[in-house]
Amino acid sequence: MRCISSKVYNLSSKEEFVNNAKAGKILARKCAKCGYLHLATTYFCQNCGNKGFENVLIEGKGKVVTYTIITVPPAGYEKYTPYAWVVIKLDQADLQVSGFMQNITSPSDLPLGAKTKVAGYDERGMLLEKL
Amino acid sequence: MEKVCVIGAGSTKYGKLQDSITDIAVQSSVEAIESAGIEPKELQAGYISNVFGIADKQVHLGPVIMSNLGISEVPSLSIESACGSGSVSFREAYANVAAGFYDAVLATGVEKVTHTGTEWTTTYFSYCSDFFYEGGAGASFPGLFASMARAYLAEFKATEEDLAMVAVKNHDNGFANPKAHLRKKITVDDVMKSAVVASPLKLYDCCPFSDGASTVILCSEKFAKEHSKNYIQVIGSGRGGSPAALQGREHITTIPSTKIAAQAAYKMAGITPKDVDFAEVHDCFTIAELVDTEDLGFFEKGKAVEAVRQGMTKLNGEISINPSGGLKSKGHPIGATGIGQVVEVFDQLTGKAGERTVKDAKIGLTHNFGATGASCAVHIFKSV
Repeated sequence: MRCISSKVYNLSSKEEFVNNAKAGKILARKCAKCGYLHLATTYFCQNCGNKGFENVLIEGKGKVVTYTIITVPPAGYEKYTPYAWVVIKLDQADLQVSGFMQNITSPSDLPLGAKTKVAGYDERGMLLEKL
Repeated sequence: MEKVCVIGAGSTKYGKLQDSITDIAVQSSVEAIESAGIEPKELQAGYISNVFGIADKQVHLGPVIMSNLGISEVPSLSIESACGSGSVSFREAYANVAAGFYDAVLATGVEKVTHTGTEWTTTYFSYCSDFFYEGGAGASFPGLFASMARAYLAEFKATEEDLAMVAVKNHDNGFANPKAHLRKKITVDDVMKSAVVASPLKLYDCCPFSDGASTVILCSEKFAKEHSKNYIQVIGSGRGGSPAALQGREHITTIPSTKIAAQAAYKMAGITPKDVDFAEVHDCFTIAELVDTEDLGFFEKGKAVEAVRQGMTKLNGEISINPSGGLKSKGHPIGATGIGQVVEVFDQLTGKAGERTVKDAKIGLTHNFGATGASCAVHIFKSV
């Protein structure tokens, strides 16, 4: 985990979050007052209410907390079905993220706790892969 | 604050309905007004909960319903809070009567979506999630609750058969409810053999998409006493919120908004969970009922599963959970569900629940949330 800027940001940016996910990183915001970490789409600190954040870039690696394998998909996901939607806990921060994972057809393909990484971002959302 | 009562209730059947969204909303409204024994002109406001009016070509439902009731001059408010819209609307109606703004108001919830088909509903319902992180990454609502289920089963050593027992129990209750959508008894085997929707959840772990409308009439205690002997009193009202996305929650197997709303409602009512005789809880999926009954304080964390195994939550068990059949069997017309729960409590506490009556019940609770519990309202009622 490293700070990439000392500048205090007031606005979040989904575009920045997406661009970092494409590079395998999670863009987080660290409260300038209390240090509490949030994903980059937060404007005020959930812990202390402060508005100032500094951007923090976190390695997109973590372990599976839970997931589902979807067989009845929403529109646009038919051609990818079945697929998994997965929540992971990042190794380097007290943060969870979630995303889309292809090539999971049975629970035996993905034990809870399995090592995963952020592998990109496209029309399917944030992409996760098994390590 | 004024004491607030529910003096009338009405509901269409839940299921696949032919009539329009406006027609069914008016049908339940008329039934509730007649059940209250009042004139429409005595109503001073309307609270209308709905999510997908656009699917049946009617938004801004409030004035349309009021006009159909012959009270076009009465102000109305349309309320959307995903699957929790009904209880949020009830809360606003309650707050306005409690504050003394109005003596009597109508709260109607309605949904009409079954004509759109499974793909439309699966897709549009996913817009109720934190879409950037969830729906926009392929998560359906069954998928989000399935993720809660997988975490719960692993953490508390529960099984998919345990989840199935929740469905079987709620179908048993719904079988005795003439207005239920899925009015049939099922077995654990039926659930286990049903098609997987989002593992580990199968079709029979999921509530149906339903059409339906429900209405209650809320009023001040003074108004209730002047008009009827057949009313119940609202003794607790609480609301709460949770991180909108599952990933933002410290524990995937608990819903923070339920705890916040329940604590506020219990405190206002001056009771504890042990005082509740029956509850209508938000069982959109079987896993949700286990999580709900723990978050509401009926069972310790992880213990709801044992309670279900022992039959403690059956009709007239230790605490009757979802005597109506719940969302699972009675059905889930999402804008109406929270109001429909209050209709059930009204029927139970005024002796109109027939075969599914909870014996000697004095206190009933309703619990209804939006999405994966990002928003929630809990209400507590007592017989008068």
